[in-house]
Amino acid sequence: MSDDGPSRNGDDPPAPASDDRWSQYRQRLIRLGQTSVGERILIAVSALLLSLVVGTVIVTAAGLMATCRSPVLSFGSTTLCYDPFYVFNRLFLGALGDPFTGGWSPLNAQFAATLRETTILVFTGLSVALAFRAGIFNIGTQGQLIIGALAAALTVLWAGSLVSGTIALVLFIPLGLLAGAIGGGLYGAIPGALKAYADANEVITTIMLNFVAVRVSLYLVRNHFADPTSQATQTRTLPVEGQFPSILFDPRTDFSLLALLIALLFVGGVYYLLEHTAFGYDLRTAGIQPAAAEYGGVDSARTILTSLTLSGALGGIGGAVFVMMTLGKFQTGIPSYGFDGITVSILAGNNPIGAVFAALLFGVLKSGSNVVAFATNVPPQLVGVLRGLIILFVAMPEFFRIIGRRLARGQRDRQATATAGGGADD
Amino acid sequence: MCDTEVFNAYRHRWWDMSQRRRTFISSVGTATAIGLAGCLGGDGGDGDGGDGGDTDSDGGDGGDSGPAARVGMVYATGGLGDGSFNDQAQTGAIRAADELSIEYDESQPEAVQDFGSLQQQYAQSSNPDYDLVCCIGFLQADALTETAEQYPDQNFMIVDSVVEADNVGSYVFGEHQGSFLIGLMAAKLTSQDFSAGAGSTQGDSASVGFVGGVEGDLIGRFEAGYKAGVKHAEEDVEVQSAYVGDFNDPSGGQEAALSMYESGADIVYHAAGNTGTGVFRAAQEAGRFAVGVDRDQSVTKADFSDVILASMVKRVDNAVYTSVESVVNDNFEGGAVNTLGLEQNGVEAVYGQQLGSEIPQGVKDEVSEVRQSIIDGDISVPTDPDNA
Repeated sequence: MSDDGPSRNGDDPPAPASDDRWSQYRQRLIRLGQTSVGERILIAVSALLLSLVVGTVIVTAAGLMATCRSPVLSFGSTTLCYDPFYVFNRLFLGALGDPFTGGWSPLNAQFAATLRETTILVFTGLSVALAFRAGIFNIGTQGQLIIGALAAALTVLWAGSLVSGTIALVLFIPLGLLAGAIGGGLYGAIPGALKAYADANEVITTIMLNFVAVRVSLYLVRNHFADPTSQATQTRTLPVEGQFPSILFDPRTDFSLLALLIALLFVGGVYYLLEHTAFGYDLRTAGIQPAAAEYGGVDSARTILTSLTLSGALGGIGGAVFVMMTLGKFQTGIPSYGFDGITVSILAGNNPIGAVFAALLFGVLKSGSNVVAFATNVPPQLVGVLRGLIILFVAMPEFFRIIGRRLARGQRDRQATATAGGGADD
Repeated sequence: MCDTEVFNAYRHRWWDMSQRRRTFISSVGTATAIGLAGCLGGDGGDGDGGDGGDTDSDGGDGGDSGPAARVGMVYATGGLGDGSFNDQAQTGAIRAADELSIEYDESQPEAVQDFGSLQQQYAQSSNPDYDLVCCIGFLQADALTETAEQYPDQNFMIVDSVVEADNVGSYVFGEHQGSFLIGLMAAKLTSQDFSAGAGSTQGDSASVGFVGGVEGDLIGRFEAGYKAGVKHAEEDVEVQSAYVGDFNDPSGGQEAALSMYESGADIVYHAAGNTGTGVFRAAQEAGRFAVGVDRDQSVTKADFSDVILASMVKRVDNAVYTSVESVVNDNFEGGAVNTLGLEQNGVEAVYGQQLGSEIPQGVKDEVSEVRQSIIDGDISVPTDPDNA
C-alpha cells in the first residue's frame, strides 16, 4: 500500500493498484464462502463472544448513566446500576432454566418458553429460506402468518361447533394446520402471481400485504368473530381438542413437544424438497441464475408462483401453531415472528437445517429477555439492543459468506465463458 | 473495601485487647469471618444485583429492617414511558414505596404470551417472596385466570378487568361517573356564550361530541356516562358520537372531531388514547374546545392546553397504591371487585391548567354538587350507552 504512493505520478492512474487490492479482498471473501463447517462454527462462536464484549461495554456505560434505587456497585458518587455479567447470565442461562444449578431438568418452564418461541421461528425461518433459495425476497411472512393464524382459529372454532369428542381429538389439529397452510399459502400466492405474471416487485407487494393482513384480521375479529366476554380484540378460545397437547412439559408453559416435532418434520421435508426433488432443483437454479434456468427449460413464472405459495403456506402453518399452541385463540397484535424469520433464515445461510439452530438462538434471546426483565431493572429497550448486537455479530460473517459464494460463482462463470471462447459478458 | 474493614477490625482489636491474647486471636478470627461473610454476602448481592434481594441480604446483618411488603409489577405491553397507563401505575408503586416503605420490582412484557410467564415467575419466587403481584391492563386477565389458580397462596391484583378468583383483587374504574361530570360541564357551557383560550362556543347551537377509540364495554362506559351527564344538565343538547376504531390513529380522530365541530358541536370529549391527539388538533383548527382523558392532558399535551377545558382523570396509581396498602395493613381482600369511582378518587374531572380558571364558577359549583349526589347515591349513572 505504502509503495503505491511514490509511483503515483501525474498521469499514471491508480486503478491497477486498487484493482489488485480489490481482487485480494475478493479472494478473501471467496475463501470465506468456502469455509468448512468447523470453521464456520468457530467464526460464529468468536462473533458471539465479540458481541458479548461490546454488549458488556454498552450495559456498563448505560449502567453508569442511569440512576437507580439500588446500584450494584458504587464508587464514590459514581454508581453502576446494571451488572452486565448478570444480564448476560440471565439472558442465556436464564433462558435455559439455569442448567448449572442443582436439580435442573430440561422440562423446566423457561426452557419450554425458549422452545415455544423456537418452534414458531423454525416455521417462519423455513418460509423465508424457501423463498430466498428461489431468489425471491419474501418480506411478507408476517402477513402470511397472520392470515394463517386467523384461518386456523376460525376453522377450528367452526369445527368445534360441529363435532366434539374423539373425532375432534384426532381431527382438529391437522385441520387447523391445513387451514393455516391454505390461508398463508393463498396469501403468499397473491404476490407470487403479481411477480410471475405482472412483474411486480415482490419486496414491495409483500411488505404492503403485511399491513393489509393486520388490518383485515383486525376488522374481521372485531366486527364478526369477537369474543363477547373479553375486552381484548380476540376470538373465542379454541376447544381443548384444537389445542396442542403438552407432552412431558407442564401444560401451563404453552409449549407442546408435538408442535416442535412437527416443525422438525417440516425442516426435513423442506430440505428434501430443495435438495432431492426435480422441483427443488428448478427452484434453486431459478434462484441462482433465472435466465439460465429458463433456458434450461424451467418455467420461471410457475416456479415463482409455487415457491411463494409454499413459502406462504409455511408461514401460515407457523401462525396456526402459534394459535393452537401458544395463545389458544386468535388475538390481534401478533408478535413479529415473520420478520424475525428473515433474520433466522439469513443466519442459517438459507439452509433449512441451519434454520433450526438459528431459531434456537432467537428463541433463547427472546425468552431470555423476559428473564432479564424479571430479574434486573435493565429497561427492555436496552435488552433489545443487546439482542440486536448478538444477531448482528453472528449474522455478519454469513453476509460475507453469501457475497463470497456469489463472487466465486461469478468467477467460475467467467472462466467457463472464457474457455468456451464466449465474448463480452462485462 | 472489604480488606480495609477487616484490617480496621484487626487494628481495633489489637489495641483494645492486646493483653488478652487468646481472646484476641479468637476475636480476630471472628472479625475476619464476619468480614469475609460480609464480603461474600456483598459480592453475592452484587451478583444477584437485579433480583432485588440486595437490601434483604444487608437486612440480615442490620436486624429486621426489611420492607413492609414486596410487590411485583407486571406492566401492560406498551411499557413504561407511555405517558399514561403504565406510567400512572408506576406512580402508584413509587408512592407506595415512599409512604408505606415497601419495595417493588417491575417487568415490562413484550407480548401477550409473556404475561403468564412473568406472573408465574413472581408467584413462584421465594427469594424474595412477593406479597402482591400487580397486573396492569385487561389483556392480562386471561393469563391471570390461569396463574391465580395455580398459585392459590399468592395475592394478585389486576387493573381494568375482573378476574374471579379468591386470591385476585380486581380494580375497575367508575369511568361512567367521571364522564357524567364532563357531560354536565359540556352541556352547561355549550348552552351559553363562552370563550376562553383559543376556543369559543357558538351561541346558536347546543351540541357536543364524543370520540371513542375502539367500541367495547370499557369505552362504552365513558360514552354512557357522558351522554347521561349531558341529558341530566340540559335535555335538549344534542350529543354526536363516533368511534374511530383505533387507539392510535390521530388523523382519524381529527377527521371525526372536525366533522362534529362543523356540524355545530362546541366541545368534544375523547376516550381514544393517542387518537385523541387528533381531536385536540381539530379543536384548535375549528376554534372550539376538547376534553382529555386518563391524565390531565392540559399538562401532558401542553401544546393543546389552550383548547383543553378539562380531563377525566383515571387514577390507576390509586388502584395500585390502595391494593398495596391493603396488603401492608393485612386486609387484602381476594376475590373482591373494587370499583374506584368518584367516591374513592378513582376517577375525577380535572379542569385544564390554562382554561380551568375561566370556566364560570356557577358551572363548577354545579359539577361539584352533582359529584356529591353521585357519591351519595342520589344519581345513578348508566354504564351502557344504549340506555343513556
